[in-house]
Amino acid sequence: MEVLEENDEEEQREEELMKALEISDEPHNIETKLSVDQVFVPSDVSDFDWSSIDISQLPSSYKTNSPREKKLLRIADHYLQQYTHLCPDRKPLFLYPVNECGIKKFVSTTVRPTLLPYTELYHWDGCASFVCDYLTMEPLKSPLIPPSLLYSPTTILKYQRGNCFDFSVLLCSMLIGAGYDAYCVNGYATHDICSLDETLEVCPLLRKPQEVPKEIMKKSNKYRVKSSPDMQSKFELQQEAKKKAETEATHKNEERGEEKVTEVEKPTHDPLYGLRVHAWVLVLSGKREVPEPFFINPFTGNSHSTMDEHFLGIESVWNHKNYWVNMQDCRNGCKDLIFDLGDTVRWEIMLSETDKPLQVLLDAEEENELFDRNMDDIQEEEEDTSFAMPPSWVAPIQISPREFETRCSQGKKVILYKKAKLEKWAPYLNRNGLVKRLTVYADLGCTEVVEVREWFKNREDMLDMRELNKQTQLTTEYFSPGHLLGLKVHIYKSMEPETERVMEFYNEARVDGLQKRAENASEIKEYFVGRDDFKYFQHTEFGKRGKKISVAGARTDINSRPIVQMKECFHRNLEKPADEDVAERVFLITEEMIHLTYHLKDKYITASKKDFFKPTENYRKQSEIMTPEMCITYQAGSSVKDKKLLHLYKLLQELTEEEKQLKQQVRQSEAEVLNILKIRENEEADIKLTVSIYNTERNEKRKQQYEATKNAMEDEFPVHEEQDLDYLAPFLIQIGHPEKMTKGQVLRLRDDCLTDFKNRLIAKANIIQARFEKEVEELKKKNQQFQENQSQLSREEEAVFLADYSETMFRIHIVALRLNREKQTAPQKYLALEEKLRKDPRLAVHLSHA
Amino acid sequence: MSQSYNSIKPNVIDDEMLQKAVEERLPEDIGKLAKREGIDFKDVTELQLSFRNILQIDNLWQFENLTKLQLDNNIIEKIEALESLVHLVWLDLSFNNIEVIEGLDTLVKLQDLSLYNNRISKIEHMDTLQELQIFSIGKNNLTALEDVVYLRRFKKLRTLNLTGNPFCEEEQYVLFVVAHIPDLVYLDFKLVSDTTRELAVSKYHYLIDPLEHEEAQALAQLEEKLAKQKELEYHKTAFVEYLNGSFLFDSLYAEDTEAAKLAYLPGVDDLLQAYRKDFVSVCENLFNYGLKEYEKREAEVSEFYKGLHEALTANQQEGRKIILDFENRNKERLDEIHHATSYNIAESKRAEYNEDILQLSETLMTLEMQTVDQLEELIKDFEKNIAVIASTFIENVKGMMAQCRDLENRHHEKLLEISINTLEKSVKNELDEDLPDDVRELLVDKTTLVNMVNTSHNVHLLKIDMRECDILSNTYRWQASVTGKAFQNEIDRNRNRVKEIFQYIDNLQEQLDSIELLEPPE
Repeated sequence: MEVLEENDEEEQREEELMKALEISDEPHNIETKLSVDQVFVPSDVSDFDWSSIDISQLPSSYKTNSPREKKLLRIADHYLQQYTHLCPDRKPLFLYPVNECGIKKFVSTTVRPTLLPYTELYHWDGCASFVCDYLTMEPLKSPLIPPSLLYSPTTILKYQRGNCFDFSVLLCSMLIGAGYDAYCVNGYATHDICSLDETLEVCPLLRKPQEVPKEIMKKSNKYRVKSSPDMQSKFELQQEAKKKAETEATHKNEERGEEKVTEVEKPTHDPLYGLRVHAWVLVLSGKREVPEPFFINPFTGNSHSTMDEHFLGIESVWNHKNYWVNMQDCRNGCKDLIFDLGDTVRWEIMLSETDKPLQVLLDAEEENELFDRNMDDIQEEEEDTSFAMPPSWVAPIQISPREFETRCSQGKKVILYKKAKLEKWAPYLNRNGLVKRLTVYADLGCTEVVEVREWFKNREDMLDMRELNKQTQLTTEYFSPGHLLGLKVHIYKSMEPETERVMEFYNEARVDGLQKRAENASEIKEYFVGRDDFKYFQHTEFGKRGKKISVAGARTDINSRPIVQMKECFHRNLEKPADEDVAERVFLITEEMIHLTYHLKDKYITASKKDFFKPTENYRKQSEIMTPEMCITYQAGSSVKDKKLLHLYKLLQELTEEEKQLKQQVRQSEAEVLNILKIRENEEADIKLTVSIYNTERNEKRKQQYEATKNAMEDEFPVHEEQDLDYLAPFLIQIGHPEKMTKGQVLRLRDDCLTDFKNRLIAKANIIQARFEKEVEELKKKNQQFQENQSQLSREEEAVFLADYSETMFRIHIVALRLNREKQTAPQKYLALEEKLRKDPRLAVHLSHA
Repeated sequence: MSQSYNSIKPNVIDDEMLQKAVEERLPEDIGKLAKREGIDFKDVTELQLSFRNILQIDNLWQFENLTKLQLDNNIIEKIEALESLVHLVWLDLSFNNIEVIEGLDTLVKLQDLSLYNNRISKIEHMDTLQELQIFSIGKNNLTALEDVVYLRRFKKLRTLNLTGNPFCEEEQYVLFVVAHIPDLVYLDFKLVSDTTRELAVSKYHYLIDPLEHEEAQALAQLEEKLAKQKELEYHKTAFVEYLNGSFLFDSLYAEDTEAAKLAYLPGVDDLLQAYRKDFVSVCENLFNYGLKEYEKREAEVSEFYKGLHEALTANQQEGRKIILDFENRNKERLDEIHHATSYNIAESKRAEYNEDILQLSETLMTLEMQTVDQLEELIKDFEKNIAVIASTFIENVKGMMAQCRDLENRHHEKLLEISINTLEKSVKNELDEDLPDDVRELLVDKTTLVNMVNTSHNVHLLKIDMRECDILSNTYRWQASVTGKAFQNEIDRNRNRVKEIFQYIDNLQEQLDSIELLEPPE
């Protein structure tokens, strides 16, 4: 050991360092006491036997160490020795665990940065949720010490299970690949985090989004009316306030009582608190617009602030390039840690790097001085500074689309939260498209169901989510855009018509702008948005069914409920004057009355009104079609300037017409409700899932089509080929396709065929030869011409000739080459044909004998 | 028409004819009702007077709200008496004997005009009909194809009918028209095809291009003029028009002949230049200050109205709430009275209701009184603030005007000095410069010269005073009008509200009384 040879001065220095370190060591002192008497073995030991995995298929990098890796291990060993010497009280570092092939590998080389081709995996939350869904969690063999084994991410992915270190390494690889400044962390956390116990957590789906209080900047106007003097007794107010305070106090007491109850729910004190080893991922700010550092717990995929009290301490962090040891005090958990890895006092770096930011570079020099004083081998030091992390030994991480989609092993995952259970399925696994179900319970024991929420995917009826409230028996269904009739939300107790229900619609997709329709046995309320006639609300009241047929509303359809009253409300239409713009229109069917209320005029407090009494039969018989008694008018702000009866009559006629239409409309909307209910029932009875046309695996139709075309192609192709290659055909035709051929015929056929082929080859060679000669002749001619006229030629003409000359030379060269080749290959071709003919089934019988 | 063609008796539009025409339009049942009640010509929007042998248009002034008028198939010779029908959209004057287009200037909303089959020989007098979309002037006496160019000004014209005019015989008629009216969709009942349009453009672009250029220029000029006018308007509302430059200074010397003569004296020119520079800079200051103050005034006024609006909205809501409460409560009560079993009960209920109405009236009036007090205070505040703004403005303007006057005084003194010096020199014959004769004449007598300089000075001072006076009086007027308007608005509002309350209460009472009538005393 080199350390033994150090001189006094260095010893002193070291002591100082040790003193500094002692502070941070304190929480670990407990460990020595505890680890002796108990080693907690988790009850649910995995049934998976890692020793049985197949390692024969793994690449050689898994089974051996390259020279650089060996050197790295040496450096790491050295580093560890110094570390144990300097900080003897701290736990040994997690530096080079054994991989699945039993080879020591440095942890940084196990990280294999990979960007996977899925858009979801481009963001940290997508990666984290994939990792936590895809892998099954295994507890550490011993919760107090880091594992001695660390498998490659590829193996972990293959078997879909692993401990927190495996999770972290995989997640870290993906995050670094996606461009994040991510690190694996080896540290300590609470029992809940380490054992993936979320039963004390509120389910993230149940967490209410924090409402951001909207700050309305109200500019105070200096012109404000002073409110009328306050005549209330101050004393009374005081008394009231006192009372209020008292009641509040009692309330608080009660609440406190409740709090006590909730405290009971809190976990009992964990004897191993602060000692449980955990691995997670740290993402530092700077890259990918991350504003501040945060942790990701790989088991849950959730992000945590670095102040989170569940994380109790950090031993070391590493990424694919380097390894840092935390030298900061972790007594208060991770709250006070400063994540500036360039700070050598707080973070002890293993490999001083060159590709780190400048600040780190500067620090690195200091650090070398400080740390390497312990070394007397200067060469080693030099080597150390220049050494870069070797590339990862792990094969590229690959996830097939199928695996990516299936997510959890066997496509199902169950998570228990505080008073809630969350189940997840892979899409298309369930026949009804169910992908997620959250069951909320009233008690901690999870016996009494309060609410069930189900999420669906790829459903043809666009059902997105269904919420069933067990207490109120209310079912709420949420639909994505695209459902028939623009249905958005459907809240109901039963599917029976004319019971209490609320339907919300995508009003943009509807012609009538209907946004919501609330219904119960005796009324329908409809809310509209963005209509041209400014109507925003319609309320219809129904009477008891089948009482009297003489009731006006029942005449159209005896089965339907008689309409008693219809009310419409309108927004202000700015194109009309206010007292001609109807705000509310009430049709009292049974009383044969129509009430009109108009909008308020500017600064007026009373609205104009018109009450029509519809002419009864008696009136009709008389010639009077309109009398002043039939309409009571109140015109705000104008002395009774009665409008002419003519106008009133016209208005009444219009209103009667509209009443008819409105009635029809009400019937239509009743029919629509029935229709929707029927459609919904049919849809629920026969649930269909949609498949994207790009999804070739799932899309049966496409697959069949594809295969059909492929088969068709195959069918066609061989025929074609055969025809092409039937060299005997022309000769067979000559002898007239005999069923059977005599030996003489066959021989003649063969000879004919061969001679024909020979002739063709010779002809071909002759053609090439002729071409060659022609080119040469031409060249000669040209050359001669050039020689004769050389003196008269201008420079340009000369250049043209030269270009032409070189081109001709090139052609000659090519032709010569071809001729040569032809000469060489011709005999071979001839032999090949002869061979082929011998093997031809039609001739084989005779030829083989021959 | 029962009469034979030859014995047409010319008619003039009279009340009887109109009455008949209006009644004809109504359906039978309504007609009866209308007849009994009498028809108000103001309510009529459409009128058809075809085939009535009308010679002269008259008596149509009552139809203020007419939008559609048909006068086709008459013997009208002159378009007249249509000035008051400003809402007219549709006018049919086809099959008449009209010779000149005229009398349409006020019908700015006109979209569809038909002058088919008349005797018109020139398209003219239609500049105001910018809304025109359909124009039919077929079968007339139009001979000059260049007349069509006139129609370019109707930017919304899409349908045009020119058939049966003499110029339609000309070979290039269609192309010429299409080229000159590029947005035309239908010409002579036919769709204008794209090929025709392209052909027309390629053929006549030499005519159209300069035309377009000219129009664009005219438009640009107009816009510039408008912009300038708008700016001037803005300056005027700020009371500092023509102060951003040397306008005022120039106006000082505009009618001052003496100054012009004095300017020839040696050294005066330099003096004048320096004076001008100082003066203009003071004017500029004043101008900028004026604009700034104007913004301040506007902000103050708008803030006041914002506050007022808030107060009024709150008041309206409060009143509305009271009334709605009352109405909800009393609907049932009216029913009760209506269905009361005995007269006594009905009577007591009625009395109760009456009481309620009085109570409501009381509440509403109290609210109104309260509002009046509040608003009065508000308006007084406003008045005070406006007064402060106005007085500071006036003070500052006065200060700047005093600067102008100082400059003038100083200039005057120097001018006097130079004049006298020159005079002395001249007397001593030491003057070496060449001066015009009339100026030389001045340099004879000292008193005349001094008088002259003084007159010039006085003229200048007067001009400055006048400008100052202008600004001040404008400011005072503005102050009075703004505050006056606020007070007047409030008074009007109060009156309206009180009237409304009374009317509403009366209405309620009436309703109550009418119910009582239905209840026979036992």
